[in-house]
Amino acid sequence: MKRFSIIGKDVPRTDAATKARGSAIYTDDMKLPGMLHGRLLRSPFAHALIKHIDTSKAASLPGVKCVITAEDTPKIKYGNWRLFPETQDEYALAVEKVRFIGDEVAAVCAIDKDTAEEALDLIEVEYEDLPAVFDVASSMQPGAPVIHDYCPTNISVNRKIKYGDVEKGFADSDYVREDVFTVHGVSHAYLEPCSALAQVDLDGRITLWTSTQVPYIVQCLLASTLGMRENDIRVIKPYVGGGFGGKMELRAWEFCAALMAKMTGRPVKFTLSREEEFLAGRRRHPMTIHSKVGFRKDGTLTAKDLKIRLDGGAYNAMGPTATFLCGNFGAMLYRYPNYRFHGEHVYTNKPPASAMRGFGAPQSLYATEIQMNIAAEALGIDPVDLRIKNAQVSGDEIPDVAVISSCGFVESIKAVAEMSEWKEKRKNLKPGHGIGIGCYSFISGGVFNWFNTQYPFSAAEVRVFSDGTAHLLSMASDIGQGSDTVLKQILAEELGLRMEDIRITVADTSMTPQADLGAWGSRVTLMAGNAVIDAARKIKEQIFGSVSARFNLNVIHELECKDGRVQSKVKSDYGLSFGEAVAMAQKANRGEPIVARGSYTPRDKGLVTPAFGFGAQVAEVEVDRETGLVEVKHMWTAHDCGTVINPRSVEGQLAGSIQMGLGYALSEQFVMDGGKTLNTNFADYKMPMATDMPPSDVVHIDTYEPEGPMGAKEAGEGLASPTAPAISDAVYHAVGYRCMDLPITPEKILEDLEKMSETGDKQA
Amino acid sequence: MRLPKFAYFAPRTVEEALNLLADHGEGARVMAGGTDVMVKMIHGLLKPTAIISLLEIEELRGIHFDAKDGLTIGATAPLADTASHPDIVKYYPALVHAIRSMANVEVRNMGTVAGNICNAAPSADTAPPLMVMNGEVNLASLKGQRRLSLNEFFRGPGVTNMIHGEILTSIHVPPPLPKSGVSYQRISARCGVDIAAVGVGVGIVLAGEACKDAKIVLGAVAPVPMRALETEELVQGRERAQELLGQAGDRAAQEARPISDMRASASWRRKMTAVLTRRALDEAFERASRR
Ligand SMILES: Cc1cc2nc3c(=O)[nH]c(=O)nc-3n(C[C@H](O)[C@H](O)[C@H](O)COP(=O)(O)OP(=O)(O)OC[C@H]3O[C@@H](n4cnc5c(N)ncnc54)[C@H](O)[C@@H]3O)c2cc1C
Repeated sequence: MKRFSIIGKDVPRTDAATKARGSAIYTDDMKLPGMLHGRLLRSPFAHALIKHIDTSKAASLPGVKCVITAEDTPKIKYGNWRLFPETQDEYALAVEKVRFIGDEVAAVCAIDKDTAEEALDLIEVEYEDLPAVFDVASSMQPGAPVIHDYCPTNISVNRKIKYGDVEKGFADSDYVREDVFTVHGVSHAYLEPCSALAQVDLDGRITLWTSTQVPYIVQCLLASTLGMRENDIRVIKPYVGGGFGGKMELRAWEFCAALMAKMTGRPVKFTLSREEEFLAGRRRHPMTIHSKVGFRKDGTLTAKDLKIRLDGGAYNAMGPTATFLCGNFGAMLYRYPNYRFHGEHVYTNKPPASAMRGFGAPQSLYATEIQMNIAAEALGIDPVDLRIKNAQVSGDEIPDVAVISSCGFVESIKAVAEMSEWKEKRKNLKPGHGIGIGCYSFISGGVFNWFNTQYPFSAAEVRVFSDGTAHLLSMASDIGQGSDTVLKQILAEELGLRMEDIRITVADTSMTPQADLGAWGSRVTLMAGNAVIDAARKIKEQIFGSVSARFNLNVIHELECKDGRVQSKVKSDYGLSFGEAVAMAQKANRGEPIVARGSYTPRDKGLVTPAFGFGAQVAEVEVDRETGLVEVKHMWTAHDCGTVINPRSVEGQLAGSIQMGLGYALSEQFVMDGGKTLNTNFADYKMPMATDMPPSDVVHIDTYEPEGPMGAKEAGEGLASPTAPAISDAVYHAVGYRCMDLPITPEKILEDLEKMSETGDKQA
Repeated sequence: MRLPKFAYFAPRTVEEALNLLADHGEGARVMAGGTDVMVKMIHGLLKPTAIISLLEIEELRGIHFDAKDGLTIGATAPLADTASHPDIVKYYPALVHAIRSMANVEVRNMGTVAGNICNAAPSADTAPPLMVMNGEVNLASLKGQRRLSLNEFFRGPGVTNMIHGEILTSIHVPPPLPKSGVSYQRISARCGVDIAAVGVGVGIVLAGEACKDAKIVLGAVAPVPMRALETEELVQGRERAQELLGQAGDRAAQEARPISDMRASASWRRKMTAVLTRRALDEAFERASRR
């Protein structure tokens, strides 16, 4: 095991002080002279033709500076899957047709928000209502309303994976289990609603400050939709209050802010309301999961046949990736010798689903994990033992999916069972109490280049100075997950500096090195981290030469950067302070500054990811048999994220995952009436609160990921998956209710208990 | 969301407030903590032309208790102060429990019991315990004062028997009788901050082991916090027993008139009415037997 000086320490977060003081500037905090305020007009219909729009009354309201509809735009479609242009199905403002309640139809900007809001009421739109579909089954019926003309089946993405011989696998099985699971949509519910501010300069170039996870993607897609050149657009990400996958595309307000800034010559800002976020915002994909698994008597897995239909809502958004990933995750965790997957992404007239923390894994793994528990019971094997028996290990290869380098899965299961006293509790809990397990695996960034970038996936520039400081520039986006801190830690470690010696500039597409695909898929630590190391090593090459010359070192001497010095590894008095070493190297270069650029692009790593994280979680619950309420008493987690770069950050990720997992399992859901979302505020959208959080213990399993920066890999996103199955299994253990359709509600539990008492079934 | 334009006043006496209320007509609203008023205004559900804050009126702030007259809660006494008042903690534990189960720390520091009552939500948490304790409201208008039983106060969601121009000055609760016990039980799908899906208040007085007087009020299962009169009758004269609790729960569930909405279905609300009535009645018996 490598010894580190800053990696693995609870270094305070770079953004902690400013956020605690309330001085951090988010997009909506920004004000520019002459700035206008924008608002969007949204469709009240789930599916309708736009016959006519009259904006004249709105435009003549005093204070209104600009009103636009699709007619004022170049009408160029966009979507993140640039590699497959046919998947790009969205216009910034609806052209001819609206496809969900909340679809953006027109935009207004005015001297203040109230005037813009008032103007929205004055825009007259004549719609012709069309039949609409709100679930996957109806949308796939022959003769169903066609949502996009290019896609008459309403199935926009088909993805198949197949290896081995599934039929033969089932034939060789002693036990085959087939189930249909349905999982629901939930909101990212980031605390900062989306916001964008655009300014245009005298040359017509645009600067856009926006609350995004993907400044580079926004830059490129904004350019293509406005018919401009990429580098005439500069996207800057200020502090961002969470994204969780909901801010990883170009969105209508970013486009409208930019276009209206061009049209009016004045800065334009849009900030969504919480109601808009809930009404029309992206969400996690609801899915119907048909899963069939086979086992031998001794518990050995033989085959899995997985069919998933994703309810994509009205546009693709990040649905294609979710369709790929839920199939990939279906083959993870356990060794399925034979595997078949068919995923279909289906349009419906609802707000588009998109990426959300776990990106297909929470849904797919819910089915996996519940079926493991069902099978364990049927086979008379403890769920923990059944998992250990089938668990993936380092070196496993999954055709079409992955090669697993480091893997601490078995260790995680064993650790979580031990810390939760699994064996004991599984047998001897009080009535109404239960304990359950759920596991996960997750990617550390994606390989498949759907965005079709011509740049490295991540890049970094490091500048070092004779005063002993360094400046790190990266396009990576800290959206609250803490990547600025982690990247600084990695650079500090590599150059032997302290955190306070490093200045960081990030997420500015004109000022930081091209490129970075953004903060999603748990890619930043691994990919941007590797880019930082690459740049730092190039810096070292430049300064080591001078130090070596200065001390006339034998060429076999290895040098190191440590404790603010550059020195011989074996004789530390042959060395200089970091600043002196930089000064000398700079002099040797006759004044040229010492700068290096590093990059990372996963190559020869298959098409999925360079590295997988793993983990296991146990939940203990108490179920009130009279009310059906579930109280989560305790959570235990053991996980493998490779080297833990910042323990407190990782624990924060865990706490956030548990909070989201709790909501996903027990309380959060969109209450829909047809295509209309009814619960558009936090009083009615029941996200768990601080007071709902159970006590929690964690163990980090010690592994070293060879592909990761200093051995690190994914942390925190995979953890979005195990909580729901763990709680669900604990509820089953407590009262015998097996949840096949999330969320677990008091009503469903009571109904099931009533049915059981009628039939005299299982008494817990 | 456009906040309407409105005039704002913070009078120092009740009389001044009443005059302002009369002067500004139907568009005027009084405001205590504002935790209902401001939320409704921001969402465009309420568009007052004048807001008359009561917070600067010294005489409305106090909480008084004495063993003879009972409890008086001033119209602007914050929920938090009410729930931590030593006499209330001692003599009115069900009210304390109701308040502590409401909202969150911030809202309890701002909101008031009077506001909760005047807002007249079917789910208002303080209504069932206050009603079963025979609570009354003191109302003032330019014409004079009157006292109204809370039993006659609510008319529908958001609608009360106060008339325009009236201000609630305080809430009065008689001193607890010997051998009396009160309980409030509520349920919602989220443990933290959440509006009650069902709330049940039970107040009983014992003669020996038997119940000589029972009051049962169901919250969030009808347009107003409703008395469960048949259930009260059923409990009358009976002693604490599992059988009675079960019967009372079932009867209350029959009496309830719940609807299905975003928060819960009618059928779950009905079931919960039974469960909570059982639990509240049991606790009320327990408390009464200890006094
Ligand atoms: C996040 C949140 C959570 C909440 N949770 C709960 C909950 O769990 N349970 C619950 O019951 N409520 C809840 N509420 C609602 C609210 O906080 C309570 O109803 C509170 O008691 C209202 O008191 P207030 O002083 O803020 O009322 P205000 O908003 O000031 O007034 C409410 C209404 O009463 C009228 N009014 C106020 N005082 C007088 C008076 N003296 N005379 C005449 N009319 C008057 C006002 O005109 C208005 O119509 C919640 C609110 C929020 C924002």
